[in-house]
Amino acid sequence: MDKKLKSNKNFLVRFRGWFQAAATLLTNLHIPNLFKGKIYQGKAKTICVPGLNCYSCPAATGACPIGAFQAVVGSSKFKFTYYITGFFILLGVLLGRFICGFLCPFGWFQDLLHKIPGKKLSTAKLKPLRYLKYAVLVVFVILLPAFVTNSLGMGDPFFCKYICPQGVLEGAIPLAFVNSGIRAALGHLFTFKFTILVLVIILSILFYRPFCKWICPLGAIYSLFNKISLLKIKVDPEKCVSCQKCSHACKMDVNVVDTPNHPECIRCGACMKACPTNAICYHYGFSGKKQADNK
Amino acid sequence: MKNKTSRTNSMKLKKAIAASLAVFILFAFTGCKTSSGSATTESSKQEDTSTTDSGSSGDLNEKLNDLYQQENQIFADHKDVWDKAFGFMSKNTDDDTMNENYADFLANTIESNKDSFSEEEYATLSKDIETIRGIEEEIAKLEKEIAAADSSGSNSSDTADSTGVFHGFKGKDLDGNDVDESLFAENKVTVVNFWFSGCKPCVEELAKLNELNDTIKKMGGEVVGINTDTLDDNQDGIKEAKEILKAKGASYKNLTFDSDSTVGKYAGNIMAFPTTVLVDKDGNIVGEPFMGGIDDQSNYEQLMKQIQSILDQE
Repeated sequence: MDKKLKSNKNFLVRFRGWFQAAATLLTNLHIPNLFKGKIYQGKAKTICVPGLNCYSCPAATGACPIGAFQAVVGSSKFKFTYYITGFFILLGVLLGRFICGFLCPFGWFQDLLHKIPGKKLSTAKLKPLRYLKYAVLVVFVILLPAFVTNSLGMGDPFFCKYICPQGVLEGAIPLAFVNSGIRAALGHLFTFKFTILVLVIILSILFYRPFCKWICPLGAIYSLFNKISLLKIKVDPEKCVSCQKCSHACKMDVNVVDTPNHPECIRCGACMKACPTNAICYHYGFSGKKQADNK
Repeated sequence: MKNKTSRTNSMKLKKAIAASLAVFILFAFTGCKTSSGSATTESSKQEDTSTTDSGSSGDLNEKLNDLYQQENQIFADHKDVWDKAFGFMSKNTDDDTMNENYADFLANTIESNKDSFSEEEYATLSKDIETIRGIEEEIAKLEKEIAAADSSGSNSSDTADSTGVFHGFKGKDLDGNDVDESLFAENKVTVVNFWFSGCKPCVEELAKLNELNDTIKKMGGEVVGINTDTLDDNQDGIKEAKEILKAKGASYKNLTFDSDSTVGKYAGNIMAFPTTVLVDKDGNIVGEPFMGGIDDQSNYEQLMKQIQSILDQE
């Protein structure tokens, strides 16, 4: 069984880039719409995709879970969305932040940007910024849309409207490029969010996944499930020689041996690649007693 | 020994659980896949309709190509003579000759070099030129048609076939009174605002639209709202829309109609709300649809300018 998992892990980790590309393609199936400047509005749009992928991307297959959450919380008719909360819990329990590492289009975008050669900076000293994403989640995704409302009880999707760089990248830019009506409607808000996108792009080249680490409310939600998710990373204490190579390989600044299921872990498998004794592997299912972080 | 069996048992249990979960995930993804599959078919359907829309101009182009082929065939059939004729051409092409009818141009060239051809050759050429003249006439006609089709569709494909979506309009206002296209005929310009009840920017601009209605009423215009939640006489939607309109102090006319009608389909394809279009008294949409709320001053001024330009044309 160990052997099976090992080959399994190698396969997933080795082809992670392809998984990300495939996931991005599946999340954005309606490629021709990019040239028409239209967005797909069919039935599949009532379903959420796992990653951060703007509803207003002309090619988008489904809805962005964070966008959908805000839309419901901010509407005058509803106060809370059981459907999307349930969706978060389901995916969180099934996969946790594996979604960030393998399925999220914006995660892939940042991965690709980080491949641009140049000076790379460590985020190890910026760990406190990690908590910012929880603040973004609570304030911009939940509180502001729910409570800052007009006389009729309608709120704005604050995260989408004022922060999300994915919305500019996938929605505003391709739509404005082709659709003259949208282009005419661009204003200060676009300039502001475009600046955020540029900033995220520059930071992504210098740092590894700055948006995932510090801003992303979707990652914040999935991170809460990392410890209890069915997909885990397991360190075999008998094989481990405590070389700490894994922690050095980890671009999310996780101490792999002590906390293999840390909320920041995006299951990218860099630690597995680095491990000289193959002590680290994915584990799917209910955790056994041997689990290192349960001791 | 006992220990070992219990261990294998627990291993088996784990395996079974892992397998069942794997199946579960597979199903979860299959669910997604089928829906995205239906998504693809739907989008291809859209593409289909768009190709049929442009089908007519495609046909025209095909005919045009066919005619060009016919001309080339004529040249090929009497290759020797025509090659000889073409030999005289290249030297005396200037702008004037390029502008004249192609058949005339050929005829002139042959005429001016008449001495170089035998009588038989001259007869063949003259006959061919007459055939070509006929073909050229058809080509000119086709080109005109294609140009007309293109200019009506010059902007974006969906505004192209949508200029006339209000022709033959039939619907009701939110109080149930019948409304038809005479509504547009009575106004010099009708400002049609598409919105829905859950759209915050749409609701925010209702008061401003009411103000706009008061302003342009004096100039012979009118603002009309279309709430996409009220289509097909949806009573719940109408009730909600009325409440919102009342709360925002908007008293101008709002319309409901069949979502299967041309204008219903047009409304269903709008992807950014609020969208505002200007309709002239013949029921044609003028210019590009206007996106964004007019509670923003610069948007308001821009829309006003468009309205003014339509009023000035009267």
